Amino acid sequence: MGNADLRSLAALSDVSFDDLGGSVVAVDAHNWLYRYLTTTVKFTSESKYTTSDGEEVANLIGVVQGLPKFFEHDLTPVFVFDGAVTDLKDDEVEKRREQREKYESELEAAREAGDSTRVAKLDSRTQRLTDTIVDTTRDLLELLDVPIVDAPAEGEGQASVMARRGDVDYVGTEDYDALLFGAPMTLRQITSKGDPELMDFAATLERHDLSWEQLVDAAILMGTDFNEGISGIGPKTAVKDLHEHGDLYAVLEARGEHIDHADRIRDLFLDPAVTDDYEIPDSIEPDIDAARAFVTEQWEVDADEVARGFERIDDSVVQTGLDRWA
Amino acid sequence: MFNAIVSADTLQATLDSVSVLVDECKIHLEEDGLEIRAVDPANVGMVDLRLDAAAFESYETDGGLIGVNLSRLEDIAGMADAGQLVHLDLDEETRKLHISIDGLEYTLALIDPDSIRQEPDLPDLDLSANIVIEGKDIDRSVTAADMVSDHIALGVDATEELFYVDAEGDTDDVHLELTRDDLIDLTPGDAHSLFSLDYLKNMNKAIPKDAEVEMELGEEFPVKMHFSFAEGQGRVTYMLAPRIQSE
Repeated sequence: MGNADLRSLAALSDVSFDDLGGSVVAVDAHNWLYRYLTTTVKFTSESKYTTSDGEEVANLIGVVQGLPKFFEHDLTPVFVFDGAVTDLKDDEVEKRREQREKYESELEAAREAGDSTRVAKLDSRTQRLTDTIVDTTRDLLELLDVPIVDAPAEGEGQASVMARRGDVDYVGTEDYDALLFGAPMTLRQITSKGDPELMDFAATLERHDLSWEQLVDAAILMGTDFNEGISGIGPKTAVKDLHEHGDLYAVLEARGEHIDHADRIRDLFLDPAVTDDYEIPDSIEPDIDAARAFVTEQWEVDADEVARGFERIDDSVVQTGLDRWA
Repeated sequence: MFNAIVSADTLQATLDSVSVLVDECKIHLEEDGLEIRAVDPANVGMVDLRLDAAAFESYETDGGLIGVNLSRLEDIAGMADAGQLVHLDLDEETRKLHISIDGLEYTLALIDPDSIRQEPDLPDLDLSANIVIEGKDIDRSVTAADMVSDHIALGVDATEELFYVDAEGDTDDVHLELTRDDLIDLTPGDAHSLFSLDYLKNMNKAIPKDAEVEMELGEEFPVKMHFSFAEGQGRVTYMLAPRIQSE
């Protein structure tokens, strides 16, 4: 997950969906799904998305509710899925697993105590991306003709490089790490109502007078998914130290500190493992009937839960200009 | 030649009605009043405004066309208290507008009208339904719809003789119905069109809550909204293009 300290460095501004029409957005699929899972689960009762075999497929509701937002604003989403977990990230994954186990045992206790508010809250936190969730999401996206890219490693790194190459216009993720991967323009809050937030890479560097390498160095000093930061270094200190000493190694030397695998962490951001194996289609032609059958028949999701979403995908509308009526 | 005195509220209302769509506009100085017509850069929303000479304390011109930066002029007008008078005097030689408010002198550099986006033609539309509604009911509809969605549907059910508003979000919905009794007037005809709330919210800001707004609607057609300000001596028409089913 991203580093909240990065937010205070990032150049952010609100942008209207109406100004984004016609763009292609490389969406960090895991990040996006996670958002929808937590909200879907919060608002919907478990029986509506659990199959008779006890398989939870709330993700399907999430996909059907989340995609209209792209289509209605004339955006083409490209979903980028994570590949293998980077081994340096094991600690973080382990930590999240432990956290989840803690929530799960609390959830059990809340259920026994009959505390339904607490249950709902914890339920949303214990959502994990199971193999079924990832597989059924991919199947549904394929039926809806939404392009999928398989990243060799981090989905966010892959999406960022696609944006750097100019193959897509924006990266879509809540994670501030997109800045470290050098994504020129990142859209945040694409899952929530209202305007998305635009994170501008060049403006961020300019604001702090940093190079890309220095921004990554600042993040490493503050702490990333792959390392603990140096205690006492926040955004201000990190930027100041880098202005004074030039790079991560000089800062560490001046402070008498050490960070394991610093070289590798830097490279993970500056030169992530990516693939060229993807295609961006000109237009998307969803097979709504097949998608609906997949969700409601094969995976037994309550038809009412997804009726609205499919209707919205089917009815995607675009803004017209007044000249059309002149 | 242009020399006029106008109350600050009237000037502000005039500028606000236009600045919700554009940053710069052309002002036509006619012998019987001012005229402004502008369309936003995306060609989605249009404003057509007229302020009669009678709305001014004094008004003299032999005609002309000036280009102004609206936010600059709004800032200056904002320096005046509501009831205060603003004196506007055009210097033809320097192409500057001298503005004085109770001893405060401001010289505003004008913009070359040719550099401002061309004024649109007002499309002549035959819209099936006509509603006269209070400004506060538009405000209520827009505010509620904005809580759940980025779009708002406006429609008229000719059989039931009612005007309705619909907004559908990811999870929540808003629906509002106003019958003939809730409206000032209704000429029914089937109508239903979807609009961007971004635009409608901005237009709503400029519509006085106590105004009688005449709304013309059609099936997947632009909406027209007409209202008066400055005690009927100023008139605004907004037109907004709909969002329609993509092909």
